[in-house]
Amino acid sequence: MNDYAISVENLTKFYNDFSALNNISFKIKRGDFFGIIGPNGAGKTTILKILYSVAIPSAGSIDILGLSPMNDAKKIRARLGVVPQDDNLDEDLSVFENLIIYSMYFGINKKESFRRASELLDFFSIAEKKNSKVINLSGGYRRRLLLARALINSPDIIILDEPTIGLDPEYRLNIWNKLKLLNKSGITILMSTHYMDEAEKLFKNVILLNHGEIVLNGSMDYILNKNNNENIQGASDNAAYKKEYPYSDEYNNKRLKSLEEIFMDIVKNENFKSN
Amino acid sequence: MKILKVINEINSNISLRSYAVFYRNFRVWLRFYKPSIIGDILEPLLFLAALGLGIGKFIHNINGTPYLLYIIPGIISSSSMYAASFEGTFGSYTRMTTKGIFDAILVTPVSIEEIVAGEVLWSSVKAFMSGVAVLLISLIFFRPYISVFILLIPIVIILNGLLFASLSLFITSFAPSYDFFSYYFTVAISTMFLFSGVFYPVSALPAIIRHIVYIMPLYYTVQITRALFLGQFNLLPLLIDLLIIIIFTLIFFYLSVYFIKKRMIS
Repeated sequence: MNDYAISVENLTKFYNDFSALNNISFKIKRGDFFGIIGPNGAGKTTILKILYSVAIPSAGSIDILGLSPMNDAKKIRARLGVVPQDDNLDEDLSVFENLIIYSMYFGINKKESFRRASELLDFFSIAEKKNSKVINLSGGYRRRLLLARALINSPDIIILDEPTIGLDPEYRLNIWNKLKLLNKSGITILMSTHYMDEAEKLFKNVILLNHGEIVLNGSMDYILNKNNNENIQGASDNAAYKKEYPYSDEYNNKRLKSLEEIFMDIVKNENFKSN
Repeated sequence: MKILKVINEINSNISLRSYAVFYRNFRVWLRFYKPSIIGDILEPLLFLAALGLGIGKFIHNINGTPYLLYIIPGIISSSSMYAASFEGTFGSYTRMTTKGIFDAILVTPVSIEEIVAGEVLWSSVKAFMSGVAVLLISLIFFRPYISVFILLIPIVIILNGLLFASLSLFITSFAPSYDFFSYYFTVAISTMFLFSGVFYPVSALPAIIRHIVYIMPLYYTVQITRALFLGQFNLLPLLIDLLIIIIFTLIFFYLSVYFIKKRMIS
């Protein structure tokens, strides 16, 4: 058994003539909280779709838990939990039925599925909505149910495609906390987002995609330090500025780059490539 | 042989997991089963009443069979065709597109083949409910005239359901929008309803139309159902009709899997 939950090598994806992904390689360690960031249309969703085998790669090789999506899609999907970008909860069913029916797709027996469903509803604090129709739920509840559904098969890896999009701060925080707990319990998490504050708070390792290419790749600590060090060095040359604001907070604030700023620098400067 | 390879691959991806797809639809249906069953019973009853009693007043018998009895097996076949066709087009299309049910299932170990198989199974069960409703009604009113072979008719209805469910999913597999189904119902389903021998013997039609009728799957179901209903048949032609139904079903089933797979996974 290797140390990596997912490894992707030279992945390329064309939609007709459009190149959605161009020669992407990255590895995700078991237990990692791995992020894919990038602007809209960068190729984040395409990568995720290829991993859970609803999109077919044009070239490259993929290994998920020692299996290949081309040959073992069913086996891989049995061990994945997927939270898609588009909410596709079953609106014709109740909250509880959503989990029970979904567990049937994994071949989980009735008794076990009832146990897991109840447990997950408690974990995501939606037990009081157990018998509500999904169509009557608010956005925050729906998102939590979507997460609960993705966990019904006790997956080794959870893949989330922009799971907090459109949520208010309270629900976002709630979901962040749950994800951290799940990651601590040993589940590998792969998540895409275009919220940089979210990425900074959650991810251990990250790739930044732009136009289907990886433009930045590494641990979150490394990326933040590297870019800030470079920046601080640059700033130290600015003697005039230093003289004027020797120790002020404003000086520090201006000098320390957030991931958001790093992201904007890279996306604006199209020619930038790391390494 | 590429076709054989594709068929082999499809077969290898189908397991009992299809039942979960079927069960999901059944579970949803249970919420609204009362209006659904009433519709199943009412619609064919209207046809029987209007045509059997109305036209039956002028046409006393066809080949010695009272007109009402003559059209009952036709109505059994056509109402099961309609039930499977509605579910396999509007129902399955909604689950495939707007409701995102297929997308949600596709990230589980259930394969696209199993989704299609589950959908076909569900549509044919709806066809069964609709066809059997007519059969039961006719049993209540016309028991003395009916042959014991009607006990075999439920099997024919299920086969007819599988046939039209597969055909409908094939249509659904490339339907760009709901509007497309109105063409399908007008061109294919209504044509079959009117020309497949539901209301009169196909032999009454001019030769050129008759030859077109022979490519209509419903024709064969009507033939078998009527033969069993009245207890007048020769075994061999009956078996040949049955075989034709099964061949149609397999062709449309594999086509629908192939094209839905292409549509969902790119």
